[in-house]
Amino acid sequence: MNKRVKRLALGAATATVMMMASLSPAMAETVLKFISWQTDDAGTGEWWHSAIAEFEKQHPGVKIEFTKAERSSYADTMTTLFAANQPPQIVHLASFEFQMFADSGWLEPLDPWLKKDGIDMTGWAGQKTCEWNGETVCIMTNYFGFVMAYNKKLLDEAGVAVPKTYDEFIAAAKATTKDLNGDGIADQFGTGHETKGGPGQYLTEMLNYIIDAGAYWTDKEGNITIDTPEMVEGLTRWKTVMKSGISPVDMSASDVRKLFADGKMAMRLDGPWLYGTTEKGTAKSDIVYVAPPLTPPLGGSSNVLAMPSDIPDDQKQLVWDFIKLTMTPEFQRTYATMGGNTPPSPKADVSGVEKTIPHFPVLLETMKAASEKGIDRVPTGLELYYNEFSKMVMEESQRMIIQDLDPAEVAKTMQAKAESIKG
Amino acid sequence: MTDTVQAGRRKFFDLARPSRQHLLGYILIAPAVLMVAAIIVWPLILAIDLSFQQVKIPRLGGASRPFSLSNYTWLFSSQEFWLACWVTLKLVVVVTAGSVAVGLSTALLVNNKFKGRTVARLGMALPWAVPEIIAVVIFAWMFDTSFGLFGWLAIQLGFADQMIPWVSSSTAAFWAVAITMVWKGFPFVSIMCLAGLQSIPSDYYAAAKVDGASVFQRFRWITMPLLMPVLGVTLVLTLLWVFRDFSIIKVLTGGGPLRSTQTLSIMTYDQAFQYHNFGRAAAVGVLTLVICIIASLLMLGRRSKSIY
Repeated sequence: MNKRVKRLALGAATATVMMMASLSPAMAETVLKFISWQTDDAGTGEWWHSAIAEFEKQHPGVKIEFTKAERSSYADTMTTLFAANQPPQIVHLASFEFQMFADSGWLEPLDPWLKKDGIDMTGWAGQKTCEWNGETVCIMTNYFGFVMAYNKKLLDEAGVAVPKTYDEFIAAAKATTKDLNGDGIADQFGTGHETKGGPGQYLTEMLNYIIDAGAYWTDKEGNITIDTPEMVEGLTRWKTVMKSGISPVDMSASDVRKLFADGKMAMRLDGPWLYGTTEKGTAKSDIVYVAPPLTPPLGGSSNVLAMPSDIPDDQKQLVWDFIKLTMTPEFQRTYATMGGNTPPSPKADVSGVEKTIPHFPVLLETMKAASEKGIDRVPTGLELYYNEFSKMVMEESQRMIIQDLDPAEVAKTMQAKAESIKG
Repeated sequence: MTDTVQAGRRKFFDLARPSRQHLLGYILIAPAVLMVAAIIVWPLILAIDLSFQQVKIPRLGGASRPFSLSNYTWLFSSQEFWLACWVTLKLVVVVTAGSVAVGLSTALLVNNKFKGRTVARLGMALPWAVPEIIAVVIFAWMFDTSFGLFGWLAIQLGFADQMIPWVSSSTAAFWAVAITMVWKGFPFVSIMCLAGLQSIPSDYYAAAKVDGASVFQRFRWITMPLLMPVLGVTLVLTLLWVFRDFSIIKVLTGGGPLRSTQTLSIMTYDQAFQYHNFGRAAAVGVLTLVICIIASLLMLGRRSKSIY
């Protein structure tokens, strides 16, 4: 009897488990995968979390799984996911890496969705970058301008004024580079550039000086324009900065930012995201943000939101709802107040943001200045070959610095190689 | 009739019968074979297939592109490929030689009886136990051009008058990678050699001593010949490790500067994930595999038997 009861109980338990298992998919929430490198970024990460919370509130039964992937391996992760046919439903990409996915036809054209909801993208900063083969394949999330942050205490100690030109910037950087403990090794630097990260970041750091010299990689038609006197001047400036010892070498961006935030560096040219690091640094009270002495300021598109073309239609609708939510004037405002970023929407009300982020007007000013001049980090006509191009430029620049080559010769080499890459 | 058939089946599946014992062997090994096929053979076939297609980013289940030799044509005419081969060869020779020299020396040292031998053996094996990525990050700090320990030491000891640009000088970057790889690789050689040394009977040394053989003679005529089988295998395994190692170079130098540390494995990664040329990346990978097989055969094949 006891045995029979046990068998019955076991059978009932098995049946219950099997029934629950068969029911569970129907009862489960719809989950949208969203992978980003900004999940725990100071300010911006919180903004994403707030958008997700609002979306989940508006869509009961739908959950967004927000997962972090490191920026350094982000493109690899996304490439692998797309190649394995497992892309996240909400696609977050840097503005210089979405082109390969769009070119493979893996991103949904968004024009019909924009049209359906009557969304006018006129004036949306950087949105033109999101057009691929005549179709809108993403929404620009961030368009920024570079600012200069300086350590007032270090500049005052060196007796130099805040620089307004390239020459003044170099002079101030030289005056503030010091060997403080006399061991023959500089431990305070005038400025700092990342040279250890990827080629894309290397190019960004160089571009500050190249744009100020009036040069750029391509023209608006996509023709390579490297072999010009302006570019030679830009390369000469980069060589000067890297060879004069005013910047630590072979450092990652986070290390450079940390050095600056902790008062070991006098000036730093960077994007709005520097604020999150300086707020946590020991030199926080000495740091001031101004417009950069190099003009026009470097800037451009930063990151985009998109959706895969081959997910089910109901999921597409949900993803679009999420993208649309981030585009609302309310969330565009909190992108500034919470994230400390410059919102791309022309309708965003950013009044009063300076109360919490004192340098916000500077961010807006540099973003507008960069936007008006059409500055972007990704050169027209080289979007698909950006990684190859940036690696070539990085290598030739390194060769110029290591082998002390003439910038004019380097510009000629770069021109020929860039034309070969473009094909 | 049915009983006869069933009895026949029972006999066939009676794995206890001596004539059926090989079946049991196959059944037991089947899961492992299937696993190996799934995680090694299948991707390998995919990679070979991909290397004969002109494809930027492949997609699982996507249609295949037409057969093409263009990836291999590009590869053999590419300066980058031959430079990567040369860098890989240099690194293989330097790191393998360095690892064997340091590994064998430390194994000989800790094979002797002395106070603190256990601690010394533990210390010898420690770099092997440290996860590779952690070791590389620590070395990256020590090789830092602005604040690194090695640059500071070089100045303090008078070897240099300024910090050494470990990552932005082609020569220094190569040696930074080689030193890190030797540090990470020598404990394996040590452990293998120590095991080999402990299997050499002490009588041989005692007899040689009686015959008046010096320390170097004992090493040359007893230790080395008897250690050769172990050392030969260790040499091949170390060589293959250097060939395929990726993380040390990626974290320390990323293959630069000026591709001075770009090995075939770094080139494979760059072609795949930087330039999105998966077809070319697969071709580099396939050629690396072929080179590794040839190198292993040369070292372990018939021709090399004479060294044992």
